[in-house]
Amino acid sequence: MKEKNAAMTLDDIKPGCECRVVDVTVDGATGQRLMDMGFIPGTKVKVVFNAPLVDPVDLQLRGYHVGIRHSEATGVEVEEA
Amino acid sequence: MKEIIVAVAGQPNSGKSTIFNMLTGARQHVANYPGVTVEKKIGRYTYKGDTVVLVDLPGTYSLTSYSQEEKIARDFLLHEKPAVVLNIVDAANLERNLYLTFQLQEMGIPMVVALNMMDVAKDRGLSINTNTVNEFLGVAVIPTVGKKNRGAGDIKDAIFGTYRGDCVQATACVGCAACSGATQKKRPFKIDYGNDLESAIASLEAKILEDPRISSLYSPRWLAVKLMENDSEARRLVKKGGDR
Repeated sequence: MKEKNAAMTLDDIKPGCECRVVDVTVDGATGQRLMDMGFIPGTKVKVVFNAPLVDPVDLQLRGYHVGIRHSEATGVEVEEA
Repeated sequence: MKEIIVAVAGQPNSGKSTIFNMLTGARQHVANYPGVTVEKKIGRYTYKGDTVVLVDLPGTYSLTSYSQEEKIARDFLLHEKPAVVLNIVDAANLERNLYLTFQLQEMGIPMVVALNMMDVAKDRGLSINTNTVNEFLGVAVIPTVGKKNRGAGDIKDAIFGTYRGDCVQATACVGCAACSGATQKKRPFKIDYGNDLESAIASLEAKILEDPRISSLYSPRWLAVKLMENDSEARRLVKKGGDR
């Protein structure tokens, strides 16, 4: 892990781009739910588009779409796909 | 005449209520648990002289202690001891849905899987080999299309077969379309968590088995895994069992 730059999160990924999950850093119910929805290290996630009023962000993973809040997306650490 | 209690579990939008209605027809009523907004439906049908009581549980993505509907679903499965759990799986979204399937299997309740929305899966270009899923999971797997009423008879056969043990033990198969006999050859699938975790789970399981008051009520492996997750409800169950 690079110390200088803060880790890249799902929230940093632009619409149309893909990334890979490294870690779910948010705890508790939100973290559990994200993992339930398939956000597991190694999973490929595509950012499809942002809703007109910013939230939610539409994501595609494991063959289905899910919308989550940007605040939740910051709890998923990712790397380039 | 017996009453066979069957829990209907699955993720939200997997078609649980459609299958529930398909199996029970119009003879259902709605019951409310006090204090929560989530309701559980109860319906019945008769199969070869026995009454099957279907309990439609709230849709959940998993079975943790975090949300109210997950607690309701889990408490019912843990404490009401249904004879069979009918797991409705969205065939068009198989991977995510199987996560709940594995959790249900870990609880050790005999299970029937309904692969629902097979038509939607087909429209999306997915071709699912039901026999392969059946062989992999080691439980009866029925393809269904809830909105077209397809698969009701096969589900009822498989529920009864699983209840009697025919679908999971090497005895005579009732001959439902669920498995072509493949289920009999296999024990239900068990997740391998890898050496490190498995040895910890094994030692916890051994401890749990030392107390029959706990191990007779709950699947030791399920409880061990939940304790490893630091699940509050699992910890409470162990404490409570130990005290009494």
